[in-house]
Amino acid sequence: MSLWVDKYRPNSLAKLDYHKEQATQLKNLVQCGDFPHLLVYGPSGAGKKTRIMCLLRELYGAGVEKLRIEHQTIVAPSKKKIEINTIASNYHLEVNPSDAGNQDRVVIQELIKTVAQSQQIQSSTQREFKVVLLTEVDRLTKDAQHALRRTMEKYMATCRLILCCNSTSKVIGPIRSRCLAIRVPLPSTEEVCSVLSTVCKKEGLLLPPELAKQICEKSGRNLRKALLMCEACRVQQYPFSADQDVPETDWEVYLRETANAIVSQQSPQRLLEVRARLYELLTHCIPPEIIMKGLVTELLNNCDGHLKTEVAHMAAYYEHRLQLGNKAIYHLEAFTAKFMAIYKKFMEDGLDAMMF
Amino acid sequence: MDEYDELFEIEDNFDEQFADELEVLAEIEAPKAKRQKQDPGVVKRLFTSSEIKTSGGLSWTDDITPPSSPEHYEPSNTVRSVPAMLDISGFATIPETPRRPDIETRASLRVLKRPPVEGDYISVTDSSGTRVYLHQKEETGPKIADSRIVPNSQGSLGLLAVPISVLREQEAEKVSENGDTCFNEDGEDDPEDAEGRSTRLWVDRFSPRHYTELLSDDFTNRCLLKWLKLWDTVVFGRERKSRSARSDRHALNQNSSKPNQPNQNANRFKSKIEVTEELLEAELDQYKRPKFKVAMLSGPPGLGKTTLAHVIAKHAGYNVVEINASDDRSAEVFQKRIDTATQMKSVLGANERPNCLIIDEIDGAPAAAINILLATLNRKDGPSGEGETAKKKKKKESILQRPIICICNDLYVPALRPLRQQAFLLAFPQTQPSRLTQRLAEISLRQGMKADTGTLMSLCEKTDNDIRSCINTLQFLHSRGHTQLNAKTIQSVSVGQKDQNKGLFHLWQEIFQLPRTKRKRVGEGYEEAPGSGGGAQRFQHILHLASSSGEYEKVAQGLHDNYLSMRVRDPNLHGVCEALEWLSFSDRLNKVILHGQNFTMMKYLPFLSVSFHFLFAHTNVPRISYPHSQHEVSTRILSSRNTLTTMLNDIPACIRMRISQLSLTLDILTLLLDIICPKLRPVNPQLFSSREKEQMHELIDTMLAYNLSYRQDRTPEGQYTYVLEPRVEELVKFPGLPPRRQLTYQAKQTISREMEQEKMRRAEQLLMQRNPVQKEKESAASKPTRNHQQRLENIVKQTTVETRPEVDFFGRAVAPKPQRPQPSSDSGEKCAVLSMGTAVGNSDVWFRFNEGMSNAVRRNVYIRELL
Repeated sequence: MSLWVDKYRPNSLAKLDYHKEQATQLKNLVQCGDFPHLLVYGPSGAGKKTRIMCLLRELYGAGVEKLRIEHQTIVAPSKKKIEINTIASNYHLEVNPSDAGNQDRVVIQELIKTVAQSQQIQSSTQREFKVVLLTEVDRLTKDAQHALRRTMEKYMATCRLILCCNSTSKVIGPIRSRCLAIRVPLPSTEEVCSVLSTVCKKEGLLLPPELAKQICEKSGRNLRKALLMCEACRVQQYPFSADQDVPETDWEVYLRETANAIVSQQSPQRLLEVRARLYELLTHCIPPEIIMKGLVTELLNNCDGHLKTEVAHMAAYYEHRLQLGNKAIYHLEAFTAKFMAIYKKFMEDGLDAMMF
Repeated sequence: MDEYDELFEIEDNFDEQFADELEVLAEIEAPKAKRQKQDPGVVKRLFTSSEIKTSGGLSWTDDITPPSSPEHYEPSNTVRSVPAMLDISGFATIPETPRRPDIETRASLRVLKRPPVEGDYISVTDSSGTRVYLHQKEETGPKIADSRIVPNSQGSLGLLAVPISVLREQEAEKVSENGDTCFNEDGEDDPEDAEGRSTRLWVDRFSPRHYTELLSDDFTNRCLLKWLKLWDTVVFGRERKSRSARSDRHALNQNSSKPNQPNQNANRFKSKIEVTEELLEAELDQYKRPKFKVAMLSGPPGLGKTTLAHVIAKHAGYNVVEINASDDRSAEVFQKRIDTATQMKSVLGANERPNCLIIDEIDGAPAAAINILLATLNRKDGPSGEGETAKKKKKKESILQRPIICICNDLYVPALRPLRQQAFLLAFPQTQPSRLTQRLAEISLRQGMKADTGTLMSLCEKTDNDIRSCINTLQFLHSRGHTQLNAKTIQSVSVGQKDQNKGLFHLWQEIFQLPRTKRKRVGEGYEEAPGSGGGAQRFQHILHLASSSGEYEKVAQGLHDNYLSMRVRDPNLHGVCEALEWLSFSDRLNKVILHGQNFTMMKYLPFLSVSFHFLFAHTNVPRISYPHSQHEVSTRILSSRNTLTTMLNDIPACIRMRISQLSLTLDILTLLLDIICPKLRPVNPQLFSSREKEQMHELIDTMLAYNLSYRQDRTPEGQYTYVLEPRVEELVKFPGLPPRRQLTYQAKQTISREMEQEKMRRAEQLLMQRNPVQKEKESAASKPTRNHQQRLENIVKQTTVETRPEVDFFGRAVAPKPQRPQPSSDSGEKCAVLSMGTAVGNSDVWFRFNEGMSNAVRRNVYIRELL
């Protein structure tokens, strides 16, 4: 528990630093000792998982924090063995079904059934239901999501589901309608800054507000990242100075350089280089959606206001293609080429206008 | 020469009798020019005489031998030294004919050991140096001087079974009434041929019936025939003629009069032909079989492989048994059929000939069937005389004694690999367009179609010299009522294209390269319009190629990898955008196909290649590299995933639940690596200040929490480094970015050591937690008796004499004798030792002096006290 992120994580709803209203609502929700299925969504680093754990603690007491990792083996109907890790306490079970790839449907069916079908023995001292926490639900296949539908209703008596995801757009309607959706938005800049300074105070350090702001900006209000960056700053240099450079994640730097390469020259050769860089990003396990998003953000910074709508439109178009297809590289490259074409035409038109 | 061939055919048992003389036959084929020059000496005269004298009739064939020539003396092949008589000499060595004694006597009349007394003679020396003398024939004019050639009643010479004039008349008749006789000499076939003429395929009707009509490459034909002849020893029981390699090569030289055959005079390196020849010259094995039991013909479809095999097998005197893909080739059935074909022989019916097994289309056979074939080949003759069971077995599994010819299109099918090593491989070269055209011209002439050579040439080109396809196309056109063929018709006909896989590189090349401007044909009207007409044609061509390749995925990868390096002017990147649009379209299509099992969509995949062709085709020869990138990327992604998984697996649960793989890569990992590289003073950790110690402690805590550790590693240069384990450093490192700050070797070493200690400490703690009671008991028990105390007591015990109850020999207790009073000094000493021992044992520190050693002090020390 030595990283600040882990060390200073609030473990009860009362101790949460921001979105206090929501925390109160959650507390009220579980007041009666029961709650509906939940769908917690929001961007990464907003504190979804923290909130869920606080909720569980509110419900079951400190026992939920005694965790163990279980390696489960599930045999698919095709006799294929799927191995998956689950994190469990006596009261809940956390699983990331998308670890099983295409076989996630089997995981959902088998795992939840086994949990849900076993009744709690001592219902007087415990709740009569267990909680199954499914993470990264938006990466589940459609099959698995459909498998979830009936299970959610059938085993309502013995189990509650908490689904955790970044965006609900990939969760099918039937599931959304069966859950109480809770959105956890990113903390505001001020909230991030205050969290950072609180943590630093607890560590006995003095954090200049300028640096806090800078960290907040660089992290994109992702609190996890912000805390890590702050700690990295601490390792880099202490006492802090207001204008010290904040370490960034390498892939973001690399992505920015790629975007610059695209803007600086538009030719098939450059496209070939960009392709190599895109491949490099993909091999570092950066998801293609994130690459696309990062590229668009960087490119939009670099291009003229007139182009922005068109570029954004193109990005949306190719992102959609990306979701429909299998090979990310084609779509990323297609977007790059399209941007190059648009940008080049724009620049040439501009030059022509200047000539005459 | 046609007359001659036909002449030979008349002899019914010709095939068998003539089987020995394949070289001669080969010559019939090849050096026409030479022979025509040489022959007249004898032949012309014969003809003239018979022409004059004949009045037709077959009644006199009885006493007439096949034309016996003066060279009859020598059954060996050295007759080549007498070129004038060459082809007729073929008849001389007919074995086992009923007329043989007759010939012998006649021969002995003619071949003399000494110069004849009367008449002219010719001396002939053979290769072994024996000289013989031959009568020189008198002019065989109207008056016949030689007594041998007895004119029959008609006055003809009677060298032939049927007078030549009769033959000629018959031929003329046949030709006039039945256009295709030339290719269909078998008399029996004629009637059925005539009636089924309209229904039978031309391919069958005009298929070669005889060796000399084969269109395939001479060398291939000859090799196969030679190989088949190697079986004669075991099948027919004939002795193989031993020939010196030299004469053989000589023969080959004579035969290879065609210009495209490689020169034989390059002595330094063996050409492929020579190697093949040598294979054929190789010794027979212990059962007198050739070294290779199987011949394997390979080549693209439509070159006449099956026809060749059939013709040659028939020619060599075998009865053909064919197994092809239409038969059931499962293991048991295949075994049965092989055994039937190779070990049995038909006793009824006309063809009491040994079988020759032809396995057609073997590349489609299952591997099990091929294994059975191999087992059959490698069967050893079981050791005889091993009792009854062995005999039975042996009967069941006798060795292979019949030739097997396998035919395949693709020699490199995986199932064929084991067979390839044991087979006599013959690759079929392309049919020569000139010969094919000639044959096509003959056919069309017979069928009353008018087609000039150019047209036929273009047909050949269109079908890639596929004989079958050419003839089928011709027939198709004929049946459609085209009697006048021209190039345009041929071009417009879409039949005759093969669905043939040409390899990925070829496909990519075709896609990225514009077709060269068509060679202008001489005397031909058609010219391709470079723009409009070509477009549709190119479209069809590429579409055809792409759809026949089938590997759409790989093709798309190749296109994607290579299209950007094509030299196409595309300043506005419109082409590139278009191409990528197509790629993403095909990607989505693929997803639909694979996920929905919607295979009807497959038909849209090859259009990708077409669009790339129109976007990027260039006249230059493209340099195409094999697409590795996607495979590489996928393996690298897999390995990084594995690294992440190993890291995640051992992270303790309380932290594990807060991080996912995604957040690890996106947010945590880079910063984490920064965090675990604090600035440490390069001093002994014992000398750290309390703040530094705390920092160190935190660092180690973090590393343990995130399952990271330093492992000492040796670089290839021999230096030692500490690397992070699992290797997540590579996961966050991007090429071209400034390297992250690294700890020094010493720092890493310190951290590594501290980590080990921390791990031990934790393990001890865990142990304490898990069984605290046991630990306490242990410590409680060990408190009063210290380690050294125990030893000391032992020593003391050793020194003190134990008082045991005395026993006698049988172990019974002996009544203690009254003890005599002993000197007190003894007991006093004992007491002193004892008291000293306890005194020493009671103190906390105990010395034992070991000379030259410094570890004299022993004390119980716990790790936690030292750390």
